[in-house]
Amino acid sequence: MEQILANGLYLGSQYAMIALGLTLIFALMNVLNFAHGQMYVIGGFVTYYVYGQLGLPFVLALVASCVTLAVIGALIEKFLFAPVIKKSAREESTMLLAAGTAFLLDALIQLVFGEKQRGVPKIVGGVFNWDFRIIMPYDRILICVLAILSIVGFIAYMQYSKTGRALRALAQDRMAAQLMGVNVDRYSMIGFALGAMLAGLVGGLLVTITGVNLGMGGPTSIKAFMMVMIGGAGVISGAIAGGIILGFLEAIGLAVLSQYGDITYLMIFVSLMIFLAIRPQGLMGKPWG
Amino acid sequence: MTPLLQVKNVTKKYGGLIANNDISFDVAENDILSVIGPNGAGKSTLFKMISSFVPTTSGEVLFKGSRISNLKPHTVARMGVVRTFQETTIFKNMTVRESIVVAQHLRAKATLAGYFWGTKTAQDDVADFGENADQLLDFLGMYDLRHEQASSLPQGHLRALGIAIGLATDPEVLLLDEPFAGMNHDETMHMVSLVRSVRDKKGVTILLVEHDMAAVMNISDRIVVLNFGEKIAEGTPHEIQNDKTVIEAYLGSEDDEIGM
Amino acid sequence: MMNLSKTQLLGSLSLLVTVFFIVPWLIEVSGRWDFYFTLTSVALLATASAGVWLTFYIGRINIGQGAFALIGAYTSAIMVVKGGWSFWLSLPAAGIFAAIVAVLIGLPILRLRGVYFAMVTLVLTQVVTLTALALPITNGAKGISSIPLPAGVSIAGIVLIPDFSTLENTKLAFYYTACAIMVLTFAVLYRLVHSRLGHLCRSMQQNEELASSIGVNIAYIRLLVFAISSFFGGIGGAMFGAITQSVYPSSFQVVDSVNFMLNCFLGGLGYVFGPMLGTLVLYFGWDLMFELGQYQLLTYSILLIVLIRFLPNGLLSITWAGRKDS
Repeated sequence: MEQILANGLYLGSQYAMIALGLTLIFALMNVLNFAHGQMYVIGGFVTYYVYGQLGLPFVLALVASCVTLAVIGALIEKFLFAPVIKKSAREESTMLLAAGTAFLLDALIQLVFGEKQRGVPKIVGGVFNWDFRIIMPYDRILICVLAILSIVGFIAYMQYSKTGRALRALAQDRMAAQLMGVNVDRYSMIGFALGAMLAGLVGGLLVTITGVNLGMGGPTSIKAFMMVMIGGAGVISGAIAGGIILGFLEAIGLAVLSQYGDITYLMIFVSLMIFLAIRPQGLMGKPWG
Repeated sequence: MTPLLQVKNVTKKYGGLIANNDISFDVAENDILSVIGPNGAGKSTLFKMISSFVPTTSGEVLFKGSRISNLKPHTVARMGVVRTFQETTIFKNMTVRESIVVAQHLRAKATLAGYFWGTKTAQDDVADFGENADQLLDFLGMYDLRHEQASSLPQGHLRALGIAIGLATDPEVLLLDEPFAGMNHDETMHMVSLVRSVRDKKGVTILLVEHDMAAVMNISDRIVVLNFGEKIAEGTPHEIQNDKTVIEAYLGSEDDEIGM
Repeated sequence: MMNLSKTQLLGSLSLLVTVFFIVPWLIEVSGRWDFYFTLTSVALLATASAGVWLTFYIGRINIGQGAFALIGAYTSAIMVVKGGWSFWLSLPAAGIFAAIVAVLIGLPILRLRGVYFAMVTLVLTQVVTLTALALPITNGAKGISSIPLPAGVSIAGIVLIPDFSTLENTKLAFYYTACAIMVLTFAVLYRLVHSRLGHLCRSMQQNEELASSIGVNIAYIRLLVFAISSFFGGIGGAMFGAITQSVYPSSFQVVDSVNFMLNCFLGGLGYVFGPMLGTLVLYFGWDLMFELGQYQLLTYSILLIVLIRFLPNGLLSITWAGRKDS
């Protein structure tokens, strides 16, 4: 029982970070970042190279991942999304562009990083064993802590910094923010970069535990969407809730349902459908429709 | 004789805010009844509850003795109670005629499959819809505009189109949401006579919400006055004009254009 | 029954002649037999994309057609392989089963709009893949292979459809079948759009509240249209399974769902035949890029992005401005 809780917390903290990035981008631009999973993968590969191949300190590798993704996010927003959003009347265009960027990143990952599964040596050895009731390798605990710290840091940043306040104003009401003097174009770019960076950071953290490979992009994006569906789109608390809940559901499912085969996500999805029927906006999403 | 439409103790609360509190009144068949009141009095919310676009918190609305509140909006329309919308709610990308043709949905005798295969019933329907649309447009003085894009019409005509769309369903009760809003005197008078002829010639009972006092006094058989979500008066135009509570309600608010 | 104008009649005839006569003749003459498979794929993918196009018509962005294609493919395969049914019976059955699933899923989710609906449909594709992996009846990861070729259909001794295993040129036979399905699908689509249902859908697209107020049962119409859309996805998938004679959980994936949407978008959402054109261009384009080897996906995605960046309203909008279906 406690093991499930521990696993759930571990998974949940990672997932919450992924969901946060996705929801930030969505809140700012009403764009569903299809490439979010790919950004996670890129983050993982960068850390693999900097820490695993070049042997530089782990923290530096994480920073490298963050910077790389921030740059990628900013470029994508500035040169692709911003013009398309301005030009097109239909919502579908941005969605298709998002799909296109996902394909593009997948292609780039394949060309630059190759198709092999990569991993890095453990950053911390040993296993925490509390009376056999909770067994958790120390590195997982460390990553979990780092994730939680990052989430707290992110929330603090959004709450108290000038950039954070501008971003929140932008998310709430684009027009009003503009009237208040917020440079909408610049902050859209910053926001997208920030969201991408979060994905990259999780990738960097998790490469130390689950490794990374080319194929993880798509499924990770899908999981991110599910989190946003659970918690409600465009709301920070929703993203965290969605991430944590999915983490716990996955932990519970794996423990309880594995005897029936790989049906955890099927069950999660069916439950999600039923949940959405009752509450389509997710747990904390704003009522719309 | 049972009144055609009965509003019974209808209340709407949004959390702690009471939008409508225990409103009751009847609408007799073939009457024109107006609901008036200062801004924020709750007229719009009441309207939406009568046409079932918003659920009541308590109370009900009866049409010919059957409940129409808290049903799906399209069901209420099918029962014969049809609403129009404020401002310019139309089908943007259709021509005037197309809007009227589609609005005759409730008069369709053929099934959707019938339309697909082009059965005789469907073909008759289509011919009938076209004829009826032309007649209706003629009745409303819009026949010449029938092939215009709805979105390119001037405001006055848009309003008439909204009424035409509502009328095309062959309703028994038509709920008009601020039909005279934003019109000058001539346009208003034209619309007043239009609405009156809809009642006179088509036998439709009319319930309307409006701010324009002159028009309301001119056209209504009965008036219901709301203020702060409550009904404060009900009666003929003459009675309302001389009702002290009504006069106070209006003088106490910043509403212009009382015209009494 | 259908009042087609002269141009429309001419257009349809030329399309039919091209598809059924000119193209096969060109292929025979040039010896590029591989084009049969390419064009057959195009026809079937266009059929599935037609379903996605129809969902656009009720104002929803459908990125889940891959799920219904996979459901259709498995339904047909299971019926043929494990139930011994004739393929030709399993084909409509596959479509109907996909439609039923669509109704079940549609009931809770069709009220969602825009990105929210799209998200759910995207996840749906992944889930169907997972289900296929998990259920015993679908044979899990092994999938269903060695599906026999479609059997013949004869009534009272008259052969309506020959048994495919007796045919010399099965490629041609599949091509004709796929094109027949595609032509039928688009004929139905065209008719739907120009019938009352299409008119009602447009009214819902343009103003949902107003449509409600004139008695349109919005929830019902959406469900009906979504079911029809998924039917097309189902039969497209089933046919695909028959041609490749195998169905795997990976036969239709999220990327396929996205591609169906891309096909519609490229061809232009305002034109009934948009998905046909879009599929042709995208699929042929992808196939032609095969020569690029590892740079295939890169080139494809770059071209796509450039296209969306500079032509946000689809291909057909440049040449046929004004020829909208309404």
